Amino acid sequence: MSAAVPPAVAVPPAARGARPAPRPRRRVRPRTRAARWLLGGLAVVVALVWAFPIYWMVSSAFLPTARLQRPEPTFVPVDGTLANFRQVLTDESFYASFRVSLAVTAITLAGAVLFAFVAALAISRFRFRGRKSFIVTILVVQMIPAEGLFISQYAVLDGWGLVNSVLGLSIVYVAAILPFTVWMLRGFVNGVPLELEEAAMVDGLSRTRAFFRITFPLLAPGLVASGVYGFLQAWNEYTLALVVMTEPGERTLPLWLQGLVEANRATDWGVVMAGSTLIAVPVIGFFLLVQKRMSAGLVAGAVKG
Amino acid sequence: MRRVRTGGLAAAAVASLLAVSACGGGSTAEASGDTEVRLWLNGTDTPQELRDYLVETFEADHEGMTLVIEEQDWSGLVPRLQTALASEDQTPDLVEIGNTQSPTFTYAGAFSDLSDMYDELGGDDLLPGFVEAGTVDDTLYAVPYYSGARAVFYRKDLFEQAGVAVPQTLAEFRTAAIALQQANPAQDFSGFWFPGQDWYNGIAWLFTGGGELAVQEGDRWVGALSSPESQAALTEVQDLFTNATRAPRDADSNEPWVAFNNGQAAMFSAPTWARWSIALPECDKGVDPDDTSPEAEALLAEQQACNEERTGVFPLPGAQPGTPATVFAGGSNIAVPTMSQHQEEARDLLRIIYSEEFQTMLAENGLIPGNSQYAGALGDDPYAQAALAAAVDAKLTPAAERWADVEGARILEDFFQQIASGTDVAQAAAEADRLLEETLN
Amino acid sequence: MAAPPLPPETAAPPRDPAPPGPAPAPPRRVPRRAPWRARLNPYLLLVPALVPIAVGLGYPLVRQFLLSFQEYGLAQQFGRPAEWVGLRNYTELLSDPYVWGVIGRSVAFCLVNAGLTMAVGVGLAVLMSKVGRAARITLQVGMLLAWGTPVLATLTVWQWLFDSQYGVVNWVLAGPLGLAEFRGHSWIIEPASFYLVATVIVVWMSVPFVVFTTYAALLQVPAECVEAAQLDGAGAWQRFRHLSVPLIKPVLLIAALLQVIWDLRVFTQIHVLQKAGAPTRETHLLGTYVYSLSREFSMAGAMATVMLVLTLCLTGFYIRRMLREEEL
Repeated sequence: MSAAVPPAVAVPPAARGARPAPRPRRRVRPRTRAARWLLGGLAVVVALVWAFPIYWMVSSAFLPTARLQRPEPTFVPVDGTLANFRQVLTDESFYASFRVSLAVTAITLAGAVLFAFVAALAISRFRFRGRKSFIVTILVVQMIPAEGLFISQYAVLDGWGLVNSVLGLSIVYVAAILPFTVWMLRGFVNGVPLELEEAAMVDGLSRTRAFFRITFPLLAPGLVASGVYGFLQAWNEYTLALVVMTEPGERTLPLWLQGLVEANRATDWGVVMAGSTLIAVPVIGFFLLVQKRMSAGLVAGAVKG
Repeated sequence: MRRVRTGGLAAAAVASLLAVSACGGGSTAEASGDTEVRLWLNGTDTPQELRDYLVETFEADHEGMTLVIEEQDWSGLVPRLQTALASEDQTPDLVEIGNTQSPTFTYAGAFSDLSDMYDELGGDDLLPGFVEAGTVDDTLYAVPYYSGARAVFYRKDLFEQAGVAVPQTLAEFRTAAIALQQANPAQDFSGFWFPGQDWYNGIAWLFTGGGELAVQEGDRWVGALSSPESQAALTEVQDLFTNATRAPRDADSNEPWVAFNNGQAAMFSAPTWARWSIALPECDKGVDPDDTSPEAEALLAEQQACNEERTGVFPLPGAQPGTPATVFAGGSNIAVPTMSQHQEEARDLLRIIYSEEFQTMLAENGLIPGNSQYAGALGDDPYAQAALAAAVDAKLTPAAERWADVEGARILEDFFQQIASGTDVAQAAAEADRLLEETLN
Repeated sequence: MAAPPLPPETAAPPRDPAPPGPAPAPPRRVPRRAPWRARLNPYLLLVPALVPIAVGLGYPLVRQFLLSFQEYGLAQQFGRPAEWVGLRNYTELLSDPYVWGVIGRSVAFCLVNAGLTMAVGVGLAVLMSKVGRAARITLQVGMLLAWGTPVLATLTVWQWLFDSQYGVVNWVLAGPLGLAEFRGHSWIIEPASFYLVATVIVVWMSVPFVVFTTYAALLQVPAECVEAAQLDGAGAWQRFRHLSVPLIKPVLLIAALLQVIWDLRVFTQIHVLQKAGAPTRETHLLGTYVYSLSREFSMAGAMATVMLVLTLCLTGFYIRRMLREEEL
């Protein structure tokens, strides 16, 4: 959807001349009923194939580890147990890590979205020296492998006493996510005609109100889309968190999960899968919550290249 | 306290974002005036009881100080040490480190000199291989914490069926493994569970046959896999891979009991704590994992007894009858980081660790203590005896500065996998020697 | 660009077309102050983004770059002075045929994976736009699950699925499908089949992004055009090829660019599969190779620079074009 751009989408002149469309938003569907059923069936099959590993994770969470290590796979855990979930949910460190992850993700999200937003405003609403270099820089920065960076990143945080701190980890995450989000949001800001805002101001709204009443809502999908991206990154990141968060009370969920793998000398895989499932729930929840606006968001932003 | 508190709620977190200066600023240690000494222990090998003992004893001796034990995961330890040990604020004051990882950090200058404590901590009773791993140029930087020896577990009934007795020499072990596999024609059955990347177990043959992984010649390390002794041992290893095991070539030494529990292996070699992971189907009492009633616990005890009754254990035998094989000693060292601001306190803590009480407690928990004088406390059950026998002559990987790089590059995993895949032993060894030299020098 | 872009591509704030908002009423009050954007300094707006990027990414990247001309390892971290060695790290790396092998494999892996991801992703997006509501939502949820679940968990599951002894894949192939040779088959021990498994996993993880992006783009293809083309007798493929593709091209290009960037530095999937028991040296790609050098920070830095150059070569065409269009 031109979420950002009202349907000013240009129509190829030839097509426009041929026949004005009565219903602008109708989807064109395959003609025959059989074809539709066939395609529908195909879609469902693909969906099942795609979701299968996730199903396997959830189903394993209901089985004792010994069952997971039998030669015969258990496809449906009919006689499953809730013991794995109970063990995770009675583990205090799970909640501690949950809080840390939540805090890191919230700060990262807020920081990345807010900072990217104003940066995007700058590069799409202003023409200034260095603008192009900035755009190139944020693109190039994404191309450098980050696996070897943790030593220097750690040194920076350590110099400021930000190791083992939610804020410190968040700063590095914000830095890692910003290039992508600036790039994405730039497209959205580009897409909102300035005249809309100016017209509203002319109408008597103050400039702040004009911005929040007119421009901001049009940017919401973009903000949401960047948010989802940031959420996924911050919630799942492991390598950096590993070195930055070393104190047991400051570990994020992926670190907690790795700890769970090693919690017993023989890994209790059923519990690990229960833990994984529980970690995934907030992500899926957040995702479902915003998904509708998101697919609109990703595209309109991306288009701007 | 150094750490920045985490805002519990998202809102609080966002608010704290706006207060960067408030959070970021004062991060000097012990702002509260309370001296905190930090000890890093890895994994769960050190039982809670021992941790409590350390904290209590240390704090009783040191008025106004707290000992904080932070548990680290083995898998993420090296990156954490790479960063934290170089930071004055973040470094632990005493750190446990895997014995094969310790030369890398010792050479880098990460640890303080402990030479003057050598005699005090146990002198020549300290596990010699571990001391060597912690020594650079006759200076001692890291001392042995504990060693976890390996033993071979076997199914008594399958031994009986195949007419195989507990082997007395390494050669007999190979014959027994092959006989067991032949006696059990099932397609997935292994006489000895020996997955392709399991170099931990594989190098026992190398060491027992007098071979080495790498040797130091002057300033250089030279790969020793092509030496005649090594070649002879590796040929035996290849025979085991070919005729005595059907374990996947793409598996390592992790969870060797799984196939055993599924009736697909007659023997496996593992740390002695693996006894708790053995769960033979015929002993399964079907206890609901949710059930914590006394009856259930009684059933579980019965189940464990049944498993142990059917499972035998022996140390991998050596070249001559009555001698144990020279196995690879897994375990860890302990060291005081150079950057630690509490050198004296850390040394005091070391003294507690090497006290008779603590060493005895380690042994009582099935770990071979760093001071072998106290290994007697391991007990006299067959597991303890097997562990002790194996530990007497155990050996470590070369104490080379860059040994951790060899493990990082997984050179030995690749090498043993090639042997398991039937690559010519001499050829594989030549290539691995080349890589070892490239990495170690 | 030949085709009319969907939201105006080179969007300078469009000046003349009347915004479809409320018709501007005659000015009642002329704002006394200058318009806000004239008073806001753009550099000021960039500061909040630049600060974390500079601190968290910029400085470490510069340091990494500088280290790549030094000899800097673990010992230097503990105070041994670092020595400047000029280009030695680079020449050492680039004179090693093994490194070139890794580079070649990585580029091939990247192109195959990016290509497959795009093909499958676009295909599924088209499918998504052609099916009914129920099927569409099912497909969306399936994609969503794959995208949103923590990587640590999904990779463990994939490892289980392809486990040689107890993996479901082998179990299904050898049991119900009767292909007995797959009993105990090692998927990751041969580099070729290792990369096959890696490709399955990487594509599985990356396709959802492409699907959601492309699907949204397809929604913007005006139905009237499609109907018109249909009336003109264009077949489904022709309609897609000549109508939809040009319209969604900007989206496809940017998605492809991101795939190339991400797949060239793929790390986690390869690393996990290697640890699952693959022959490490034969399966290194650039991402895992850099990581394996990370105790030799200077070497890893040099390799990272090489990777940057490589990525720029692969994507240079697109970036140049983008910059041209940026000229406003």
